[in-house]
Amino acid sequence: MDRKRVPGPELSVAPLVEYPSDFKRWTPLDEIRHDPKRQPEDMRPIYLKTGLISQANGSAYIELEKTKLACGVYGPRPVKKVGQVFSGKGVLYCEIKFATFSCAKRRTNIRDPQERELSQILSQALSPAIQLDKLPKSAIDIYITVLESDGWGSCVAAAITAASVALAHAGIEMLDLVAGCSAAYIQTGPSISSSKDSIAASRPPQIFMDADLEEEKYEQGAIVLAYMPSLNEVTHVLQSGKAEGSIISQSVEHCMEACNKIYAVMHHALLESINDNKEAL
Amino acid sequence: MSSSTTTTPAAVNGLATSPAFTFSASTFQKLHPTEFFRNFVSQGVRPDGRLLSSFRPTTVHYGVITTANGSAMVRIGGTTVVCGVKAEVAEPKLDSPDQGYLVPNVDLSPICSNTFRPGPPSEQAQVVSESINRVLKESKVLDLKDLCIEEGKAVWALWIDVVCVSYDGNIYDAALASVMAALKNVRIRKPTYEEGVVKVPGGEAADDENSFKLNLARTPLSTSFVLFDTSLTLLTDPNFAEESISQGQISVTIDEQGQLCAISKVGAASSSQTLLKQCVERARKRNEELRSIMNQ
Repeated sequence: MDRKRVPGPELSVAPLVEYPSDFKRWTPLDEIRHDPKRQPEDMRPIYLKTGLISQANGSAYIELEKTKLACGVYGPRPVKKVGQVFSGKGVLYCEIKFATFSCAKRRTNIRDPQERELSQILSQALSPAIQLDKLPKSAIDIYITVLESDGWGSCVAAAITAASVALAHAGIEMLDLVAGCSAAYIQTGPSISSSKDSIAASRPPQIFMDADLEEEKYEQGAIVLAYMPSLNEVTHVLQSGKAEGSIISQSVEHCMEACNKIYAVMHHALLESINDNKEAL
Repeated sequence: MSSSTTTTPAAVNGLATSPAFTFSASTFQKLHPTEFFRNFVSQGVRPDGRLLSSFRPTTVHYGVITTANGSAMVRIGGTTVVCGVKAEVAEPKLDSPDQGYLVPNVDLSPICSNTFRPGPPSEQAQVVSESINRVLKESKVLDLKDLCIEEGKAVWALWIDVVCVSYDGNIYDAALASVMAALKNVRIRKPTYEEGVVKVPGGEAADDENSFKLNLARTPLSTSFVLFDTSLTLLTDPNFAEESISQGQISVTIDEQGQLCAISKVGAASSSQTLLKQCVERARKRNEELRSIMNQ
């Protein structure tokens, strides 16, 4: 039992949702996206702002419609762990935390494997861009709180984007900003209902950029790409699920294109923060 | 210390008479935070430009999280908190078969300030959670019987979680305001109980027909002060720097009828009756102001 929090009931479950019989759920059969205004290659509009956390060295807040997360960067600061041996390279520590109310089902306060995995991905995606060898004996801590999540892939991508903007805002030397982008492979059209139909099954899945939670439920596979646009280098690729090589290479290209667009947004947010500073002075 | 030309608050105080010991104002603040503050407070202002009795700009936004049944974001100056309420079904306690649960918890995660470390909730977070829990329970903000679905079988458990995104002092005021705002914002689908299963209608957006709001008996809101220096000067709505050099803290919680719900005073400094009266008076004024912000 958790004695450090106000105790609630030992077991609580979400109620069973009963949809009316005439309720129409989105399926890929419709051949349009969950948000009908979006084309397969369209991302959700991004809102990105720096400097919302007053105590942090650098911070960023990102919103892709329902996906909302805040990122705070502390450092470079001395390594505080006891017994840590001297290191000529800086240490990068990433932690992603989901707020308990961030998903459809309530999350517990205990750090779960998904959070650990995400933290690891973030650290791997960012460390190639940070010049850690210039920061001996120091640590950089990146903390992310997911306030609302609408899709796993978009959450990882948004975390990477926000974290690299927050790092830049903290004035930490980087080779380039890292933009994150996600895509899902979804079989659209009538082939799902009759999967035995060989002609329909051979139809290649569609690549939906920046898929949301509803779309992720139908995905065959997904990709998350972290990319440094001005260096034209990919720092991290995570591909899951079944897909043909051609689809994967196509989706990597799509993601790189989208990353270039995200890069412009990141640039804009950082320039704005400089202008804000000038006004404050 | 190559340049000794910068004007300093220290020089005003006669601390640094020798030019070799002249610091810039920000260095002086780091070395002697209390002395730095004293120079300002003696002039009736604070380093951030506020008067001793003024508050920081406050904003309240409702319904910011769509995955929660009710949510609110409250900003008091540099402090930002987000509160989300999630309603889940649980078995009632044996001794109170028709009462639901209200479970408030405050999370001060390391994202919001460099004073917090990852891991289980810090002592400060536990204190704030417990204070809010006490205010909710003892001033009977919500009749727990309203949360009953089927007596002895199923009740609603309202998990009220406050996440601090940015910490700049006065977390208790911000957290309590966000909890009350989120509770006001709560909408729960009308449940039906059938053979051990609780069902709620899905589909179209929650409206008056398929969902209900909480019937809040009162909305307590708090105002905090810190006592500064041996003179015990009252500083209203303290920020992080002010909290860290304070002698003690006083919080006054008042509901909309002006009735006191809680007063807490922590710290070693003793405070007189007049001081407490002054606090309550100021808290009353602040309460009205905050309430009008919340009702906008």
